[in-house]
Amino acid sequence: MTITTTSRPSVRAAAPRAARRRWWRGRWPLAALLALLSVLTVSPFVAMFIVALSPAGRPTVPVRWPESLTLDNITMVLSSSGFVTWTLNSLIYAVVSVVIILLTSSMAGYAFAKKRFPGREAMFWTFLATMMVPFQATLIPTFVLVNSLDGVDTFWGLIVPTLANSQAVFLMRQFILGLPDELFDAAKVDGASEWRVYWTIVLPLTKPILATLGVFVFLWHWNDFLWPLVVGQSDATRTLTVGLTTLRTEEMQLSLLMASAAVSVVPCLLVFFLLQRYLVNSIAMTGLK
Amino acid sequence: MRQRLRDPVTGLLFVLPVLVLFLIFRIFPSLGAAGMSLTNWNIGGDWDIIGADNYVRLLDDVNFWLSLRVTLVYSVVYVPLTMLVALGTALLLNQVVFMRGLFRGMLFLPYVTSFVLAGIIWRWIYEFNGLINGLLAKADLGPVAFLEESGVVLPALAVVAVWKGFGYSMLILLAGLKAIPSSYLEAASIDGASPWQRFRRITLPLLKPAIFFVMVIETISAFQTFDTVYVMTGGGPARATYTLIYGIYDHGFRSFDFGYAATWGMVLFAIVLIVSLVQRRFLDRGNT
Repeated sequence: MTITTTSRPSVRAAAPRAARRRWWRGRWPLAALLALLSVLTVSPFVAMFIVALSPAGRPTVPVRWPESLTLDNITMVLSSSGFVTWTLNSLIYAVVSVVIILLTSSMAGYAFAKKRFPGREAMFWTFLATMMVPFQATLIPTFVLVNSLDGVDTFWGLIVPTLANSQAVFLMRQFILGLPDELFDAAKVDGASEWRVYWTIVLPLTKPILATLGVFVFLWHWNDFLWPLVVGQSDATRTLTVGLTTLRTEEMQLSLLMASAAVSVVPCLLVFFLLQRYLVNSIAMTGLK
Repeated sequence: MRQRLRDPVTGLLFVLPVLVLFLIFRIFPSLGAAGMSLTNWNIGGDWDIIGADNYVRLLDDVNFWLSLRVTLVYSVVYVPLTMLVALGTALLLNQVVFMRGLFRGMLFLPYVTSFVLAGIIWRWIYEFNGLINGLLAKADLGPVAFLEESGVVLPALAVVAVWKGFGYSMLILLAGLKAIPSSYLEAASIDGASPWQRFRRITLPLLKPAIFFVMVIETISAFQTFDTVYVMTGGGPARATYTLIYGIYDHGFRSFDFGYAATWGMVLFAIVLIVSLVQRRFLDRGNT
């Protein structure tokens, strides 16, 4: 590699430039179209942020650009106790779910991939079969069950029913299946306990897939709506998505509503900007949705 | 020998947490849904077995047939539209090298947000003094009552869902396009095939599995539409957006008619099952 680049720099530099020029001649309309579609796609977000940063009560996009930008709406939203509670609830809902799902699904995935025990196949296929049952179809019985256990409007009632995630178990099992048996056997010969093997070998080896899964579980829970809507009935356990739907423009300034929406999307944007490459590659690889 | 005897226990212990969660919160409610649909379960927790009464009531229920129609019309608008946008952007991304990463990111961005957020932004975009009508007014057009006219509201909701979700399908299709060996297209090109012929005869047939996968996923998600309806229309105007899931929610958590709501859930289950089985059949046929 280095030899060719150093020995013939001029040729190598010139060739791509010519190729690039040739490429542009035929295809600049495609690039322009792609740019236009991309800008259109993000424009609702841009509009949301502009309104969120505009002084309250003044006409703004699309009629005119705001004369000045202000953080007043954002600080007002962040000082409303309801909004802060919803945000914390969403964080608890998402983070606790991520930790427990990663832990339980990697344990189960390890056992399904590398352990022999009676009923393993039957159990695994039953898990897979439950993927066919949409959550909304079992919404009513799940709610009645949680209600009969006094779980409505509690954190455990919100979180625990969402932890049975067959996609996570399936993904972990497929990944661990691809790891060589010798890795685990060697540790066992050295006298490590099963838990130690899991903790010091399985978990570190599955880090990339755990990270991918963690990002998805976080987004699923942060953006989740129907289950939090029926279970989180007061501000004590209401999540941000549900809280946002209680805000109406009839009762509040549009700029405040958009500021609330803008703040609620910040964690998603953080995940997106920090882990975009990761997310993008894993979707095609794993089919997680 | 000891190793082998220890294995069954440890294997089961490692599966145990997931097993307990699944038994209680997935399998039990799945069976419970079927059971509850045969009762007149209500908010007080009183119930009697009433046999197939809920199903008879369902067949006589105007709102049920209406909601099926609404869901179907929505899917018929949503699925082709999202396929078109996803395939179009995937093809563009596959062709254009210039700032590809940036454009891909911009197109994918709405996917990481929630349907609730999409609903809130687009409710404003569609409003009388919102973004679109503001632009229309500048051109001396409109205003259009996107969310108040029964003929317009379903396509309007479909557009929101397409905007929020097409990035996912786009990435799947883009991966499919990348997997097509460029030598096939080059060979066709040398043989004098036009770009359209290359697309029609090589790209499209080779992309079929990815297209089919995306289509099934999107159809199922169309049948599960709820969040945008809840945020933007509340099922209205005049039940023009009363989808299947909205019906489940409405009967369960507004009328607290749990038994009947569970019956609606069974219909959703049946539909998703049929779509999945059709997918399985097509995939099997594709492999042989």
